[in-house]
Amino acid sequence: MISLLDIVGPVMVGPSSSHTAGACRLSHVALALLEEEPVEARFELHSAFAKTMRGHGTDRALVAGALGMEVDDERIKDALDLARARGLVFSFKPKNMGPEAHPNSVAIHLKGKTHAISILGASIGGGMIEIREVDGFPVSLTARDPCILLFYEDRPGMVMRASEIIGRRGINIASMEVLRRGKGDQAFMRIDLDAPLPHEDVAALRDLPGVHRVHVLDRVAGGAPIT
Amino acid sequence: MPRLNSFADLLEAARETGRPLDELFLDEESTEREVPIERLRKMFLERWAVMKDSVRRGLAGGKSFSGLVGGDAKRVIEFTRDGDIAGGHLVAKAIAYSIAVLEENSRMGVIVAAPTAGAAGMVPGTLLALSEEHGLDDAATVRGLVVAGGFGALVAARAELSGAAGGCQAEQGVGASMAAGGLAFLLGGDPETCVHAAALTLQNTLGLACDPVAGLVEVPCVVRNGFTAMLALAGAQTALAGVRSVIPMDEVVEAMVRIGEAMPRSLKETADGGLAMTPTGCRIRNELYQIK
Repeated sequence: MISLLDIVGPVMVGPSSSHTAGACRLSHVALALLEEEPVEARFELHSAFAKTMRGHGTDRALVAGALGMEVDDERIKDALDLARARGLVFSFKPKNMGPEAHPNSVAIHLKGKTHAISILGASIGGGMIEIREVDGFPVSLTARDPCILLFYEDRPGMVMRASEIIGRRGINIASMEVLRRGKGDQAFMRIDLDAPLPHEDVAALRDLPGVHRVHVLDRVAGGAPIT
Repeated sequence: MPRLNSFADLLEAARETGRPLDELFLDEESTEREVPIERLRKMFLERWAVMKDSVRRGLAGGKSFSGLVGGDAKRVIEFTRDGDIAGGHLVAKAIAYSIAVLEENSRMGVIVAAPTAGAAGMVPGTLLALSEEHGLDDAATVRGLVVAGGFGALVAARAELSGAAGGCQAEQGVGASMAAGGLAFLLGGDPETCVHAAALTLQNTLGLACDPVAGLVEVPCVVRNGFTAMLALAGAQTALAGVRSVIPMDEVVEAMVRIGEAMPRSLKETADGGLAMTPTGCRIRNELYQIK
């Protein structure tokens, strides 16, 4: 069952849970994946997201998320000015993503000093979100529960090595997804966990041969309360 | 106890255990999220405090971000204080408080989505009005808030709660039916009665379009929260009196989903139809966005 605290919640700055809170969270996920301060943020908005962007403060919320703000941050309404003051360059443009795309879809491209990340996500109501693509890989991510994303070179034994590191810690894998661009080409693993993975284990994942990068997403978008 | 995935599951669990609805929901949440029940109660009390504060801030008045709405909650409550009332204090307060939350929302103020921001008025508006008129303290009122949240979670298991996916019925319809369930619970309704209150309310919002003028969560959303709050009161009142929903709640939810799918995109939050496309709606949009 969906958490009652996601229904009576989030505590947020208005005016729209999908267009303001959800937008802020989507950007926040992109920021968490970038793992450094962004210098450039480009947003491409589909359908309802594009049509009602200014009225819902979607533009402010997207930029606020990229600045690391939470959905109840009263500075969201000043996010565009704050971004300019911090030297973050941002742009918005409408993009038709086709009839299959969720009406509240946005592509977020963040660039930091050393690397860049692109995600495609949708705000699916009540502030809840779903990430549908990370750097071109199709995924299904809610960012509500602890999750690890691994980008690596496709080779035998990677699933075993990764799951061994996690299993050693006694953490349960709730679900996982393994994809690749082609045999021996770049591959991608999404591992949903029942508990957050300690830093040293994340470091061990990063040290595995063939691993390009590892991202940690810990409850960026609400989900279970942390006791 | 079976896991709660539908209103039918909920009623079965209530029958089997004889326990009140709020405890069934808190147990489920506690097990699923591994959070102690006492901690959950405290979190609900914290959210309730933010909800009450959003009503208070909203009643103080002030214009929305666009300047289109604001001050209506204050108008309704002041009119009521003067004694000229059409529906009694409970009704007047429920309307004013629900509008107040949405007015605060339209100013980019802090609110609690329930289940969404555009439908955040009814749950706090009606529960606060009831708690004041019936002298309920926060601990008692929050039990109704938990039931409302649980009802929303059961709907969300089958339906996406957004105007973009399902029209206004999926936002304010669901918010009002959550409120109806919470009200019926606080007024002593048994589990069946609470679910009927929610079903009667939801079925009377089916088909409600999401056609916001200029795409803003302002017209008709703000005042509509006051009106749908009345539906929640009607749902609780009729169910407590023994009126039953012929169509079970789980099926009402399915009907809502199918109606949402059948609705044209122009009536699902895109501001391309309905009130948004009336001559006045278009003029407001053009003025706001300086479209010639």
